[in-house]
Order: sequence, then C-alpha cells, then structure tokens
Amino acid sequence: MRSRLLLLLLVVAGLLVAFAPLPVRPITPQERTFRVDARQFAYSPSELKVNPGDTVTIQLVSTDVVHGLYIDDYGLSVEADPGQTTTLTFVADQPGSFRFRCSITCGAMHPFMIGKLNVGENHWLYRSAGLAVLSVIGFFPFSSLVRTKSKEERAMAGNH
Amino acid sequence: MGRVELTRFPIIKSAVKNRWPQLAVFIVTLVGYLFAILAGLVGTPVGSRNFSIVFVWIAWWAILILVAVPFFGRGWCAVCPIPLPGEWLQRGAILAPPDKKPKWLNLRWPRALRNIWLQNISFLLLALFSSVLLTTPNITGIVLAAMLFAAIGLSAVFERRAFCRYLCPVGGFIGLYSQTAPIELRIKDKKVCVKCEGKPCYNGSSTSPTAPLSANTGYGCPWDVFPGGLTKNTYCGLCMECIRTCPYDNIAINLRPFSADLAKPSARMDEAFKAFIMLGSAMIYAGVLLGPWGVLKDVAYNVGTGAWLIYAMVFLAIIFIIMPSLFALCISRFGNLNAFKKRFATLSTALIPLGLMFWVAFSLSFVLANASYILASLSDPLGLGWNLLGTAKAAWQPMLTSILAPGQTLALVGGLVWSARTAQKASTEAQVSSVPVIAYSLLATLVMLWLLL
Amino acid sequence: MKRSELLSRILITVAILVAVGTPLFFWARTPIIHAQMAEDGGWSPDVIQAAVGKPLHLRLTSDDVVHGFAVGQMEMDVVDIEPGKVTDVTLTFDKPGIYTFFCTRWCGLNHWRMRGTIEVSGSGSDPAPVATPLYVSLGLDIDAQHESPMVPIDQPSSVRGQQLAADLESSNFSDQDFYRANSPYQVFEVLESTNLTETERWDVVSSLWQSNTTSEALANGKQLYAQNCAACHGENGAGNGVFADDLQVAGESSMRNMTGANDMLMQTPVDFTNPTQMLGASPALLYGKILRGGMGTGMPMWGSIFTQEQIWDLVSYLYSFQFDYQGEVQ
Repeated sequence: MRSRLLLLLLVVAGLLVAFAPLPVRPITPQERTFRVDARQFAYSPSELKVNPGDTVTIQLVSTDVVHGLYIDDYGLSVEADPGQTTTLTFVADQPGSFRFRCSITCGAMHPFMIGKLNVGENHWLYRSAGLAVLSVIGFFPFSSLVRTKSKEERAMAGNH
Repeated sequence: MGRVELTRFPIIKSAVKNRWPQLAVFIVTLVGYLFAILAGLVGTPVGSRNFSIVFVWIAWWAILILVAVPFFGRGWCAVCPIPLPGEWLQRGAILAPPDKKPKWLNLRWPRALRNIWLQNISFLLLALFSSVLLTTPNITGIVLAAMLFAAIGLSAVFERRAFCRYLCPVGGFIGLYSQTAPIELRIKDKKVCVKCEGKPCYNGSSTSPTAPLSANTGYGCPWDVFPGGLTKNTYCGLCMECIRTCPYDNIAINLRPFSADLAKPSARMDEAFKAFIMLGSAMIYAGVLLGPWGVLKDVAYNVGTGAWLIYAMVFLAIIFIIMPSLFALCISRFGNLNAFKKRFATLSTALIPLGLMFWVAFSLSFVLANASYILASLSDPLGLGWNLLGTAKAAWQPMLTSILAPGQTLALVGGLVWSARTAQKASTEAQVSSVPVIAYSLLATLVMLWLLL
Repeated sequence: MKRSELLSRILITVAILVAVGTPLFFWARTPIIHAQMAEDGGWSPDVIQAAVGKPLHLRLTSDDVVHGFAVGQMEMDVVDIEPGKVTDVTLTFDKPGIYTFFCTRWCGLNHWRMRGTIEVSGSGSDPAPVATPLYVSLGLDIDAQHESPMVPIDQPSSVRGQQLAADLESSNFSDQDFYRANSPYQVFEVLESTNLTETERWDVVSSLWQSNTTSEALANGKQLYAQNCAACHGENGAGNGVFADDLQVAGESSMRNMTGANDMLMQTPVDFTNPTQMLGASPALLYGKILRGGMGTGMPMWGSIFTQEQIWDLVSYLYSFQFDYQGEVQ
C-alpha cells in the first residue's frame, strides 16, 4: 500500500518536473548579430547565446571551402562560399538549446561539424536532470523494502 | 516470471529448424557486406554518398543499437555474414553436414585467451580510430575486409567460430548487452540432457549413439557453448544450430522479461571492463563527435599526430583508470577487501543497461540527422552518377529533430532506472547497499544529458 | 553431394557474382573526371582531348568539397560539382586550340590553381592572333612601384566632377584610350593646366572614371570580384579576405629566397581601399596584373580564364573602392 502511494507521488512529481511551466523572466527582445566563421570542421564561435524572441542575424563567413549552417528544429539553413558572406535572419521564437550543423558536404568530418544555439535557458536539460534525480530518489524507499524482503526470504529459507 | 516459448509455434519452429530461411537472410547480408567492401574500396571517397559508410555506420548501426540489441540480444549474430565463408569451408558444406568432413586444424582456442579481453582491445582499436573509420569509405572497406579474412583465417586454424567468440569487436558488446534482451535460447528439460549421450548439441550429430535413427543432423555449437548449460545470453550467438541438432527437440527460444539475465550478475573482470569501455566511449563520442568543440574533432581525426596520441591516452585513461577508479571508490567502503574484485565485477553489471541506453541516446542523434542519406545511397551506392531508385538527388534533411531531445531523455532516464534496478539486484547478491552504484549511474547520466542535450 | 547443397552453393555464387561483379563492371567502364582540392591533386585527369565540332561529354564528380566547372573564355553555363555526385557537361568547340578549364567555387587557399586543359584538335577557322595587352604596348612595368604622390583629402564626388568636366574644353579626357593608359594621379596632374582646385580636379578624375564604365559593367565586375577576388582581397576590398593570413604565412616561407622589403608587400593581397596605391595605378596596369598574375605571389593569372571585357569590367569595379559611382552611370 505504502509503495503504491510512493509510486503515485513519484509519477506526479515526474510529470511536474517534465511539464510544469517554468517562470519566464520577461526580457525585451533585442536584435543580435553574430559573425560565425566556418572552417573544416568547426564554427567559431561554436556556441551562440540569445534570448527568446530576439531577432538573430548570423553572418556566415566560410574561411576555407564552401560551408553551410542548418539549425535543428528551426529548419533554417544558409550556405557561404569563401569571400561571400551570407546572412541568415530569423526570430528565435523557440526556446531551448539547438544544434546547428553544416549543410554542405565540406570534407570527411562534415557530419560532425556542429555548433550550438542557446535560446534562453536550456530548460529541457534542467527538466531531464530533474527527472533523472527523481527517478533514483524513488528507488531508495523501494530499495529498503526490497532488502527487507530478501532478508525475510533468507530467514524463511533458513527454516527449511 | 513468465516465459513464452516461441518455438512452440509451428511456423517459428520450422523457420528455425529448416536451414533455408536463415540461408536466404545470409545471402542478403553476405552480398550486402561484400558490396559494402567493394563500395568502400572503389566508390566515391565522399562518405555521405558511399554505400559503405551510409549502410554500415548509419543504417546497420541504427538497426543494431536501436532494434537488434535491445529486442533481440545477439540477433545480429544470427544473420551476420562475417563467419560464413570460413565456416562453410570448415564444415565442408553450406547446409546439412556432409558425409566426409574436411580436414582443417580445428585447434582449441588457447586457454589464456578464453575471455573477452581481445574483444575489448579490438573494440578500442576501432574506437580510437573512429573519426577516420566512420567518415572514410576506403578505411571502412579495408576494416570490413580485414574482419572477413581474419574470420576465414581463424576458421582454418581453430575450431568453431573463433573470430566471433573471441575477436569480433561488435560481438564483445552485443554479447554483454544481450543479457538485457527479452529473448533467450535455453533447454526445455534438464533431465533430457542428463540422459543424452554424446551431447550432439555441442559435439555435432554424428556423436550420439542413443539418438533415434530419424535424428536431425547438425553441427556442434559454433560458439563453443554447451547449450545444456546455458543460463545467460552472453555467449550464445543465436545461430540456431543446436535446435537443429538436438535429437530430442529439447532446445527452445523463449520470450522473457527484459534483463532477466542480470538477476544473476556475473563476476568476471573482462566483462566488467567491457561495461566501462562501452559507457565511457559513448560519453566520449557524445562530447567529441556531437559537441561544439572543434578542437576535439581535429585531434580525434588527425590520427598519427602527437595531439591524437594525447587524445588516445586520455581516452584510455578515462576508460581504464578514471571511471573504474571512481566506481571502486564508490563501492569501497562496504564489505571486506578480499571479495572486492568479485564485488566490483558484480556491481558493474548495473552499468550494462546504462551503457546500452547511452548508446541508444547517442546513436539517435546522428542517425536522425543523417538517415536521409540512406535513400540516396541506395540509388547511387558508388557515387558514379547512377539513379537506381530515382532517389539519387534526395537532399540531406535531418529528420524529426524535435523528438530527439525527448527521445534522448526517455532513453537516458529509462536507462538510469533500469540501471538502478539492476544495481539493487546485484547489491542484494553481494549483500551491500546499492546506493553508491546508483549514485555513480546518476552522475554518469547527468554528464551524458549535459553532453547530448 | 546432396541436391540442396548444390543448389545453395550455386545460389550463393550467383548472388555474389551479380551483386559484386555487375557494379565492378560498370565502375571500370565509367570514365569520370575527379575534382579534388588543389592540395590533393586538383583535377584528374587534367588534360582532356577533344575535336572541333564533336560534342565532348564530360562526367565530373568531387572527391571532397564543393567545386565548380567552367571553361575559360567560353560561353557556357557554369556547373557545380558536388561531393559524391556526378555532373554531366557537354561542350562543343568550333575552334581548335588549348582551352583552360577551372574550378569556380572556392575550395581552399589554392583554389585558383585548380585548372586543366582541353586540347581541341581539328581544323576550324584559324585562331585569332592574341591582341597585345595594353600595358605591353605602352611599355608599362607593372611590377614597378606605383604610389600616388598625392591623394585627395576626402573622397571625390563624381556628381560634382561631372558638372565640372562638362565645362572643360578638352574632350579627350573622356576618351577610353586616355582613361586606360593613365592613372588617376596622372590625369589629376594633367588637369593642373585648368583653374580647378585640387579637390575639384579629383572630382573631375572621379567623374572621368565613372564615364568610362556602365552600371552593367560595374555589376558584372562586382559579381566577378565576389566570386573570384573577395576571398583574398576582402569583401570590402581591404586586402583582408579570409585567405589573407594564410597567404602571408605561405609567402613568408618563400621570402627566404627574396631580398628587399619591397618583396614583402607582395605576400599579402592588395588593399584596394588604399588611395596611395590605387590612385597611382592606371587601368592598363591593373589589367596587366590581373591578366598576368603575381609572379610568385598568390595572385592568380587570369589571362586564360577571363575575356578582355571581363577584365575591364573588373578593373572599373576596383576603382569603386576609391570613387563613388553615384547617380546615372551611362
């Protein structure tokens, strides 16, 4: 009975951690411009930080061969030849952390040419970490129950 | 808990006992494998447009780590083409045993190497060179060919599937992870095995004087396992040979709960270190290949340079020194030192489901990002300008990236829960608290979440 | 052996032969031109044979990064050559000779060295004699220093200059040959004979430069510059393109064989926004530099690639880093 109650409590806590809306600080959206240099096989800077709602402009400067930049989830992409900077402007309306990848085959390690766009706080990471901690906390009340049980089982076996 | 015997169903039983269905699959995988070698060696050097890279490291890897291993354990081993040419030569036949067996050396595998240390080493060798291997078609072609030749060579010298059991880098980890799978191959009734003379399941069907005349004919277990004594999936390659050979129809394939084998944790050091190798390499790959740190990628790719050597040392240090030491530290306060080694190995089985889910989470990312290459690769596998299926011009398009984060969270948190459950069982077995192991798994999961999300 | 065994052996053998043999057969028979970064070999093969009037079918693929393909001084659609994909090009030549094909998308520091030749044999009309470049007929030493002793304080205004030029008596200032043969400073000097102030004289020079080009030519020059020059010379002409540092490093190693500070200047891409250098250079000189290249520096020679018209368009665009081409350009 007690274990069922605990389980219920854990599930509710888990749902809260996963889905409860977090307080969002109201920040006025700004316009931000980033110059991102692309080379085989990295971006520089490779991590960009903006606030949700910002109008973001990425100037892609290829410094050796033709590179591209594709942002996960946003699905936007742009490509640039060396000597011809191209720009991508968009509104960062999806909060979270998104990887951007090279979209034009640029050599062997092209599939791993990756950067990160951080729009606001990485809430999903915090939620996942919370769920991870919650899931093991749930084990400790249970684990004591399990151990007690096996002591009992051993005691019973000892009687035979 | 309940087990459902799958071979009870006539259609499954005949599919398994008859050699033709498996042969049909063998033909597909063998031809695919040889074609991958060809594509790697003569096709375009551009990885994303070469069948060998796309079909080995994206398609096959995805099926392996997302479907085959979690749900079928060593299911891939059941259809893998690598041992086939060597085994057919060794047996002198493709189907049922021939009347005249060919004379090969058939040496016993050396006693000192009857463990998975060689597989640990072969996996690490590939892992240290992975940046080059995963992206360069001719290297993939050479490695595939080398494995094939090694298997043939070993079959000519040693008995059974020596390559598969003791050398294959893939077999090392799918064996370990197969303990979590929901299917198993086991005997039905121990008493039948006790009465059986000659044990044809292990020695081949010509050795059974007590079998009825209508006995099946088959070979002894190529995996050097005695089916009658199988209690875990780890070393059974699901080749189905014993099911064909057993004259008493006493071997079955069962559906069972996930990770039933982990209820009886093994205490082997080679397996314990395999768990650390897999856990550690998943985390290192997540950081190096999927992270935004270009310097790490340069260092990992420039094989042979001084910087790469340092990377390799750090890689090995993380896997052989840092992670196991931390684990040992966590568990060291409980129990006496004599049994420490046994406890270390037993408790490290908790890292098996954790490692599996780490690999699932990691693989999801690059598979979803690059699966769109698969269709194009089917149309133009060698990059010669063909268009066999009309999809050669299919554009690269990452798929379902919005479900990636939730999917990875599910996998990692699920893996953590699974690991904690396994830790409980192993701790009960070792009569210690499960808290340190669970804490270790939690720490590893938090790091992996940070690396991937 | 049993029939089933024989059947299985036949099946496997046939399956392997078909699945492995067929692609191998086609691979061996497919001639493809491979494009690689110049550092890894460039084009292979890099010499192609053709005949006048006979369509030349080429199949090209890239082994590493995005490349492009075009033939110098020939009207054709420029094509991209993408990694792992095959591009088909058909060319027909009506004159024999040696044509240069080249890469059209920047693929590294040595992208411009990625060139090959098509040797077209056969009889056609006799090849037209190559016109002597202007700098040769003028006897210009294009490697000599060309610093302008004087530069304008502010950027000259072509609009003001147009009005002033209209009042001038001599009409040979707008003559194309005059424009091409003289540097802006030289024209500035010639204008000393007028009553104009220095600022006004620069304005007139600016308008003269503008009158010798068209907006089409400037647009064409701008595109040529973006595609071919900006990577080294900078998108804003300041000599700070993405390869500028690499060129300097590459140049430093060859500097050990050179003497004199003079030579150090040649190791970095020219800064077109520098008035001292640009205003002392005549269009003919710039034409010569582009045509002939930089003799040991990273400056490519474009003689076999660009047509005369393309080079003049580029030259007029280069001066737009000095002069403002405002208002109506003829």
